[in-house]
Amino acid sequence: MKKILISLLLVLLFVGAAFTTGQKEAAAAKEKLAPFITIYEGAGSVEIAGKVAKLIKEKLGVEIRFTSESHGVIHSRIKAEAPNFTGDMALNIGFPLMVEAKEKGWSVSYDSPSWRGAGDVWVDKDGFWWNQGNWAFVLVGNKDLLAKKGYTLPESWDELLDAKWKDQVVMPSALTSGTAFMMVYSFVTLYGLNTGKGEEAGWQYLEALNKNVAQYTRGGNVPTDLVGRGEFMLGISSDEMVMPRIRGGYPLLYKVPKEGIGFGSAGVIILKGTKKLYTCQKVTDFIGSTEFCKFWSELAGYVTKDPSVKPALYGGIPRYIPNINQAWAVANKGRLLEEWKKRIGRAPK
Amino acid sequence: MNEVAEAGIPRSSRALWQSIKDFVAARTISTTGIILFLLLATFLLWPLIAVLIKSIAGSEGFTLQHYQNFLTKPYYYQSLINTLILGVLTTSVCIGVGFIISYITIRGPRFLRKPLKMLALLPLIAPPYIFALSLIILLGRNGIITKALNLNLSIYGFSGCVIAQTLAFLPLAYLMIENSLSTLNPNLEDSAANLGASQGKILRSIIIPLVTPGILKAALIVFVMAISEFGNVAILCGRTPFLAPDIYTIVTGIEMDFSMGSVLSMFLILPCAVIFVIQNYLIKGKGYTTILGKPVAAEPRRINPAILIPFLLVSIFAGGLVLLTFGIVGMGTLTNIVGVDNTFTLNHLLDWRSNMAMMNSLRISLLSGFFGAIIGVLLAYVIVRGNFRGRTALEGIAIAGFTLPGTVLGIGYIFAFNKPPLLLTGTMMILVINCAFRFLAVGMEAGINKLHQLSIEVEEASLNLGASAATTFRRIVLPIVFPAFMYGFMYVFMTSMVSLSAVIFLVSPGQNLASVFIFQWANYGYIGLASATTYKLIAIVGASLAIIQALSRWTGLRPTAGGGGA
Repeated sequence: MKKILISLLLVLLFVGAAFTTGQKEAAAAKEKLAPFITIYEGAGSVEIAGKVAKLIKEKLGVEIRFTSESHGVIHSRIKAEAPNFTGDMALNIGFPLMVEAKEKGWSVSYDSPSWRGAGDVWVDKDGFWWNQGNWAFVLVGNKDLLAKKGYTLPESWDELLDAKWKDQVVMPSALTSGTAFMMVYSFVTLYGLNTGKGEEAGWQYLEALNKNVAQYTRGGNVPTDLVGRGEFMLGISSDEMVMPRIRGGYPLLYKVPKEGIGFGSAGVIILKGTKKLYTCQKVTDFIGSTEFCKFWSELAGYVTKDPSVKPALYGGIPRYIPNINQAWAVANKGRLLEEWKKRIGRAPK
Repeated sequence: MNEVAEAGIPRSSRALWQSIKDFVAARTISTTGIILFLLLATFLLWPLIAVLIKSIAGSEGFTLQHYQNFLTKPYYYQSLINTLILGVLTTSVCIGVGFIISYITIRGPRFLRKPLKMLALLPLIAPPYIFALSLIILLGRNGIITKALNLNLSIYGFSGCVIAQTLAFLPLAYLMIENSLSTLNPNLEDSAANLGASQGKILRSIIIPLVTPGILKAALIVFVMAISEFGNVAILCGRTPFLAPDIYTIVTGIEMDFSMGSVLSMFLILPCAVIFVIQNYLIKGKGYTTILGKPVAAEPRRINPAILIPFLLVSIFAGGLVLLTFGIVGMGTLTNIVGVDNTFTLNHLLDWRSNMAMMNSLRISLLSGFFGAIIGVLLAYVIVRGNFRGRTALEGIAIAGFTLPGTVLGIGYIFAFNKPPLLLTGTMMILVINCAFRFLAVGMEAGINKLHQLSIEVEEASLNLGASAATTFRRIVLPIVFPAFMYGFMYVFMTSMVSLSAVIFLVSPGQNLASVFIFQWANYGYIGLASATTYKLIAIVGASLAIIQALSRWTGLRPTAGGGGA
């Protein structure tokens, strides 16, 4: 008898599990907000993605189910899934993906009222992408460790080559991180193109820096954690987690070195084939609102399209490395990354 | 099975009916066998072949270019060498310490046996990379011990990976060695002792040789796990290259180089295959049968202090490390930023963002446990009772699936099931199938052991007495294999809950799994949240196991450890 009972119980359990697994949500009506959408989120930070999701839920009543990974990983994922995407849209993704999605027909266009007149930097002229903010990389350091050694945070990128920083610097890996790609084209621009010595001079800087780098991280903002927890003294990190981590109690210092910092655009696309187009459009409209810009600059320190909003990290537009050309970077992405792999990422240490 | 009724005997209608039933019964088994073979071929062999094909496919047909790239670039073969060293070191320490702890929990002081055993098995219900978390908190450059003792060490690299993997897979080694050690008949040792052999001599020439098959099995599994479960390694490797995390980076990162990922996978399989073959060869030569029947409970003899003390020290040290790990991860759970800002907080624990991932894990693990156990037990039945050719092959494929690196089966599933007619990528089902087929060998082996205990004559008697095949199966076979089913279920369930290496390639947005979630949190620098989620996962797995145990005890169908693992 007991055996029969337990068998019944087990069967019930599994039928239940199977049923809930196979359950499909009913398709939402066209002009109604769907209860949830699935997005790819490029911040590589569950914290930031979670706060964005929470805000959208509060304001629009739409639940955001997200996967948060580095720009590079999200890019590969979307490329691999094309043309059958499992997500409805992508937020906070890198410029290379925004451009490629338009070229390859992965995204759909939309004329969002809240983005009209924002200008070419912020919205694609054909409405295929929206730049929700320019993000950048900064130099970070651990307050306590630096003080213990009597060091100060370097003023310039050049100072990072000093042998005293050996095995004390962490930065993201260009094999996974879009931030790292941004660093590559920014340093190639700063030390190569801008000096008239050609790309090679930029690579020489990166190779010299490589001697001091202890490790290359998967995500662009991971150095804020490693440096913040005192595992390493210095880091070159994307800026979005600097503010949240300082607020969270990490003893972090940050600086925009005198040569300036590199930047990249991070934005929104709506993926072709979504069954929740209307909802995606409403989310896009909301991201173009002043309210979101304020939230975004406050949370991650990004520079947004709204000039009235001051990014928390910089207090204004930061000093950028001159002549950074994202279009050039995207066009040369494959070659630059191959070079990075050869010289640094897949070179024996 | 039963031969069709012999010719020459006059066939009454009843006898004819009987022979038809026998015939069907015989065919049922072979048909089931064929279906099972097709399933195994589809979900274990085909993904593997897909990886192989990918590794030699060029833009214009067959090419060895990718292999040439691998072998000519120092980075890659360095990665292979590192991986092998990691595997060998981890395996040696795990086997040595696993044996010592087994010895203590079976022959050592009674009061120590239970607690030590619990400690040794505890990490099985936690994700293996819990050890990477605790190592960073304790021995990182700014770790608690590092600071307290003012050490200057770096766990980012080889040493950290070896320590973490060793601790992670020690329970597995222990479980398997303990299993074979506990079936040894103490009478053998008594006799040797009475004949004047020293305890060292008994250990060397009786115990160790007798458990060698168990040790070899354990060595293979630990080796495979150590080189393929890459959570710890990815978090701790720093700039030291290893194959498994590189496969993950190459496949999911900007390179998206599936060909190179496949080549790396082939090199990850290679050492496993070599060991698999050697091990089978060695075990064949050493097929010991100790005296049959249950071991007789003999009075434990006093163990020579020269053996006892070092063994105890090692056991207590290992147990202490496990305790320390769980404690320190608990501390990570309850403090703001462990090591930086040690103020007490419940924020990490009260963070519910992992709930959905947790639910997904639970569903998928229950389903894969169920399917894995059923298929495993059916396999066992077909292998033991069938008489068709290829039964050994069937068993071999299932075991090979178990000993394949998870990383390889992960990417194999992407290649094999990303287009119709078997379009499974992006679904939950692919996760269930992957987990079920990877681990079903455990239920199968347990089932085989159980069925060997039941003479075929009992079934025949039942049939001859007029019971239908269904009744016979229900009344005779089922009660015998049910414990094997439960054992298989528990193993698949537990492993699916915590393992990472294969499923990380197969999860899709919005359908995350707990183990992947924690890994990403750890990898993106959220130690507190990763620790807290780990604890929740441990609680869920622990509670589930307790419920299953209680249910089985209540029904009197105990999932005894008689399975012996694979």
